Amino acid sequence: MLFLDTLLIGLSSGAIYALMALALVLVWRSTRVVNFAQAGQAILSTYLGYEVMSVTHNYWVSIPFAILGGAAIAAFVDAVIMRSLAKRSHKGSVSEIAPVIATLGLLGLIRSLTGMIWGNAYLQYTSPLSSKGYTIGSHTIPFSPLNLVIVVGALFVMGVFAAIFKFTNLGLALRAASFQPEISRLAGIRVDRIRTVGWAFAGAAGAVAGALVTPTTYLSPNSLDLLLVSGFVAAVIGGLDSLIGAVLGGLLLGVGFAFILQYIGTSVTFSAAFIILILVLFVRPRGILGSKVGRRDA
Amino acid sequence: MRKSKSLSALIFLAIGLFLLGLSNFVDELRVYQGAQIAVYVIAISSIILLTGYSGQISLGHGALMAIGGYAAVLSYTYWHVPFLIAFTIGALAAALGGFILGMAAARLSGPYLAGTTLALAVGLPSLANQFHILGGEQGLSFDIGEAPKWIANKTGGDFTQYKWFFWVSVVCALATIWFIKNLLQSRFGRTWRAVRGNPSAAALSGINIGRSKVLAFTVSSALAGLAGALLAMLLGLVAPMAFTLTLSFTIVTGAVLAGVTNLAGSIVGAVVLVVIPEFTDAVATHLGGSEKISANLPGLITSVLLILTVIFAPNGPKLHKRKKANN
Repeated sequence: MLFLDTLLIGLSSGAIYALMALALVLVWRSTRVVNFAQAGQAILSTYLGYEVMSVTHNYWVSIPFAILGGAAIAAFVDAVIMRSLAKRSHKGSVSEIAPVIATLGLLGLIRSLTGMIWGNAYLQYTSPLSSKGYTIGSHTIPFSPLNLVIVVGALFVMGVFAAIFKFTNLGLALRAASFQPEISRLAGIRVDRIRTVGWAFAGAAGAVAGALVTPTTYLSPNSLDLLLVSGFVAAVIGGLDSLIGAVLGGLLLGVGFAFILQYIGTSVTFSAAFIILILVLFVRPRGILGSKVGRRDA
Repeated sequence: MRKSKSLSALIFLAIGLFLLGLSNFVDELRVYQGAQIAVYVIAISSIILLTGYSGQISLGHGALMAIGGYAAVLSYTYWHVPFLIAFTIGALAAALGGFILGMAAARLSGPYLAGTTLALAVGLPSLANQFHILGGEQGLSFDIGEAPKWIANKTGGDFTQYKWFFWVSVVCALATIWFIKNLLQSRFGRTWRAVRGNPSAAALSGINIGRSKVLAFTVSSALAGLAGALLAMLLGLVAPMAFTLTLSFTIVTGAVLAGVTNLAGSIVGAVVLVVIPEFTDAVATHLGGSEKISANLPGLITSVLLILTVIFAPNGPKLHKRKKANN
């Protein structure tokens, strides 16, 4: 029974990691940038949801606003910052790390901005759902309606993305633009614009992650930092350029964390992400579903 | 060649004596900030060595500084070694950590390395809560005491502890820059530049790329460890709160503002990092802004500077200009 309980806990946190990983993978595929600002963008959209909720007093109404906000922020970031960065710094000794630095700067910028507006206090962004586990027979399982919504919501978003990529012209353009930008441009795809759309999708995924996970904890300018790291580890486990890999990686990581928490203890959770990441990179550097060309330089 | 070396040694000595002399003429706060600048100079030049010359990135140097700080404090407290030995132990401990991390790092390129070191920066400082000996959230106190009598007597007047901190930090910073400067002119420096410039060509001319990268990471980590030990001295303690993710980001910011391939720029970067909070405090008080604004204004300004630098002068202000002149 303990085993099943742990599995359930892991699945619900894993769904959140999967969303974050999805956001990172979407950006990585389209622009070869790991967007460290994703945590910041997600926190900003969650604050937006918080504001909407303080007006409407309805969690469900606030979520679409958060999602739209997240998409708009991401599109803005790509169109204004990343595009001019790509135009200017394609040469020179730091060209490879310039996007990393830029997204870090952006993370810092958003954190200070949110700190200025809302302060560093812990805010409550609550959902009307109970966080009390369901009871089956006499046993209460650690899986609440809130967890159920998290898992279903995350799966729904992933399903929508999969459908868009598979069945729509937009999805085809997105795939083409990330696979062969030059040739896509020749074939009449506006690659820059399509990339911005890719960023917007990623922003939306991150916003969903933020809006779903925050009711289980609290809201502060850096409350999603750990989620960023977990999302990155999940994305690397999945291979960093595979959407399905990101989902699998997130779920695996969530379940792995839950078991570590259950059987080893809370003391190692923070370091566990790092250790798992190092292990993955040594044992199977291209992840479970990643393409062969990967992270080695030479 | 030999002549220029002794000349630059003289210049270093002159700068050192000038700075140490200066500490007699400014007030306590400025002396403390001078010491802060010196510590940042060491941390930033460790990033410059790593990123600018070996082409690797680290968002986890705050964690390596934590290793250095804790190792120094623990050895000082439990083994009662002189504080300079404690600093050395701190640097060596961080070097060991950096060596292990570097083994993983050498196999990773840009974003993977950034993510891995980021995970370290998030994970490592919280370990302090798990081991009783590390003192948990409150951390451990660290007091290297007053300056030795013979120094204090020679300079005359009251030789405060902050002044002593300043002396120690400045001497360490100058020694660090001197060391890196020479290292970059040595075989290792040329190897790193070759690997950064063109890995395939470097490998073909017989350079072991992995080994060269691990070495760069190890040396850089040792310097970060020294900076961490000095930071612990300035703060008077080591605690997880002192080595946050923000610290890691801050020193990367300093390095980028300095121009990552420009060792002398580390001083500019360090001064900027110390001056900005001072400046924004003044602005915030002047405008009568709330605590929310004044607490976050420094971060806002450094972040904006970082983004602007990386877009408009990605190779540092100085180098960028030179390139334009060549065209």
